[in-house]
Amino acid sequence: MKTIDARGLACPQPVLLTRKALQEVDEVTIIVDNLAATENLRRLASNEGCEVQVRAEKDVFHVALRRIGRAAGPSQAEAPLPTAEAGTKTVLLVTSDGLGQGSQELGQVLMRAFFHTLGEMKSLPSVAIFMNNGVKLTVNGSPILEDLKNLATRGVELLSCGTCLNYFEITDRLAVGRISNMYEIAEALFQAGKIVSP
Amino acid sequence: MSYSVAIFHSVSATLRAERVLGQAGLSIKLIPTPRQLSSDCGVALRFESAFRQDIEKLLTLAQMEAEIHDLAR
Repeated sequence: MKTIDARGLACPQPVLLTRKALQEVDEVTIIVDNLAATENLRRLASNEGCEVQVRAEKDVFHVALRRIGRAAGPSQAEAPLPTAEAGTKTVLLVTSDGLGQGSQELGQVLMRAFFHTLGEMKSLPSVAIFMNNGVKLTVNGSPILEDLKNLATRGVELLSCGTCLNYFEITDRLAVGRISNMYEIAEALFQAGKIVSP
Repeated sequence: MSYSVAIFHSVSATLRAERVLGQAGLSIKLIPTPRQLSSDCGVALRFESAFRQDIEKLLTLAQMEAEIHDLAR
């Protein structure tokens, strides 16, 4: 059983450290200081065939992972690069709540118009990633929430960067999609066949 | 659901109208001007056709000029 103190460590360190530890032992307890990390660790647990328990104590979270079935062969992230199928996915990368530079007001108008138009397209991206100011689009109060909810029901995964939500202190206002991390985001970008970044 | 759109002279006029109508509690959506309607302005306000009269009244009261078109469904 390994215990890892990941307090103060930025995403994706907690996930990387835990994954490494799980290669040596079947039980790992990791201490983190933010909610986004617990969500990322839950996902790691699911990928690694572990059951997970999260205990909140004062300002920290104790996350206990325990393997419940031996993983047969190399772990997900060490597997050889995926087949041609993965290379045909379209990824939407949104790094601001406005489209382009020059006028913030115009940028927001353009972004709203863009997401409206996206909703009318026949073929949608498989995933949309929101980072930096882009995470302001997936929280309560966003002008494009209805468009995003529509995309979600049609199968588009909506990922908001946990570090970004945390930085702007809006994690608890996430209204659509889920919290992700740099590890998952970088993987999605490199496996994409096409990346559209408005 | 049948929709109508209101088209204004400029982006800023459209945004002003959006604010006015929004404050009045009307359900409107900012969208790119539909391709079949040519216009100087690239964005328009879309709403359910049932509210056309309410919207026309409010726009007149606010002294805002708009072209209103029904969208074929």
